[in-house]
Amino acid sequence: MDARLTMSKLAISRLNKSFGDLEALRGIDLAVERGEFISVVGPSGCGKTTFLRIVAGLEHATSGDVTLDGRIVREPGGDRGFVFQNDSLLPWRTVLANAMIGCELAGSVGAAERRRTTELLKLVGLEGFEHYYPRQLSGGMRQRVNLARALAIDPEILLMDEPFAALDAQTREIMQAELLRIWERGHKTVLFVTHQIDEAVFLSDRVVVFARRPGRLQAEIKIPLPRPRNLAIKRTSEFVGLVDRIWRMIEDDVRAAALYENA
Amino acid sequence: MSATSETVQAASGRPSRPAETRIPLRLAAALRRRYLAATVSVLGGLALWELISRFVVANSLFLAAPSEIAVAVVHLARSGQLWRDIGVSAAEFALGYVIACVLGIALGLAMAASITAKQSLQPWVSGLYATPIIALAPLFILWFGIGVWSKVVVVISLVIFPVAINTEAGLRTTSERLIEMLRSFGATPRQIFLKVSLPSAVPFILAGLKLGIGRGLIGVVVAELFGSRAGLGNLISQSADAFNMPDLFAGVVVLAFAGIVMTAGFGWLEGRLVPWTRD
Repeated sequence: MDARLTMSKLAISRLNKSFGDLEALRGIDLAVERGEFISVVGPSGCGKTTFLRIVAGLEHATSGDVTLDGRIVREPGGDRGFVFQNDSLLPWRTVLANAMIGCELAGSVGAAERRRTTELLKLVGLEGFEHYYPRQLSGGMRQRVNLARALAIDPEILLMDEPFAALDAQTREIMQAELLRIWERGHKTVLFVTHQIDEAVFLSDRVVVFARRPGRLQAEIKIPLPRPRNLAIKRTSEFVGLVDRIWRMIEDDVRAAALYENA
Repeated sequence: MSATSETVQAASGRPSRPAETRIPLRLAAALRRRYLAATVSVLGGLALWELISRFVVANSLFLAAPSEIAVAVVHLARSGQLWRDIGVSAAEFALGYVIACVLGIALGLAMAASITAKQSLQPWVSGLYATPIIALAPLFILWFGIGVWSKVVVVISLVIFPVAINTEAGLRTTSERLIEMLRSFGATPRQIFLKVSLPSAVPFILAGLKLGIGRGLIGVVVAELFGSRAGLGNLISQSADAFNMPDLFAGVVVLAFAGIVMTAGFGWLEGRLVPWTRD
């Protein structure tokens, strides 16, 4: 194993995944450094969600390794916090009880966890909503609970699967800014999957571009925009240039995917 | 906390508490809106019934007027007979219902937990649920005697299957998304069952229990009609033999009232236990 991989927080090496005859991922190599915010973008069908699910342990790789802090991981565990595209909140639990489910599964639901989770809910902007039920919340607020739930187990890395895709455009922008504000507090390592290039550029230190059929790593682009960032940065020429550059990389693939999906 | 537009919007969307003084007025208005048509309909129906039994049928061997039924209920209550009959029927119902619920839920759990259990039990459960088991009531009386236990068995046989079927269906339809969410936190199969499958099956189980109320009441009364020494079914059959229509209807009215109260009580319980299924 080369030195770069052993030093990284998360290392993925020669990862392959097939579903029967369908080759979903081919030869993915990726190293994520401690505290880094990395986004994976690509057209639909490029396997980016499958990739994230393998890292989470929800799916098994056909071959290759996922290494977190030097240990190979295959099954789900409390060292990774997964933020789902749909909020997946338990409708019979309050916001606080939902956010604490990870702690509960790990068998630690003392006063300390309760206090910490309450603090986290405050951090994600849900102070005063601890005892509400999911059906009483807006889509954006439910995604905040989703995020707090993943953060509550204090994971080594956050895995986020298009968490803002189901939100309306305005709420999505606000949630992007909110996510950065929260991330600035602890600089947790984040692996973020999205199909929105501007979202990836806005959030990330590095954007990984996937190509489709089979899903493979096409390019890694450093995002040299200064931090902390706010939404105004999206109007700078530097930002627009980066988005444009990534768009040109995947444009043909996106068109092919759109054709394929409409056929 | 940053005041973002969506939190503000959600906060203002919370149901605002009306001023104390306005509550009685609003309640009265709501009751009027909700129950006016129902009240008029029930009172009109009773009036029509009263008129028909006094002037059209006018034969107390065939039909009793609501006023006569009311008198009969009061009379039976004063003599103590009504309470004895209610007590016997209630005991038979309660025993059978509770046993059926426990067994039915257990059966549903077994069918949800194991494919083999489901495959071997499904034909029996589905078949017996569709069978009018009530027709076997005379047989049960022959086997278990004329007392309480034959009625308990009839109630069990009528209530157990809808409960089992609903329990199994509720456990089987657990959202895959929620199971996956729990898995992502490293949940064990046991934790997935206790924290997702079981709670999400509760509305289904309650629906099965609710179905069981009506079926259980039918079971008690019909089994008593076939042979008993006491109970509301006994009151009804004895009154029918004596062509005492007011007493017969008194038994029916008490049963209807019991059914309505228990079903309404269940609706209230559902609102408390599974509030997330409302609207």
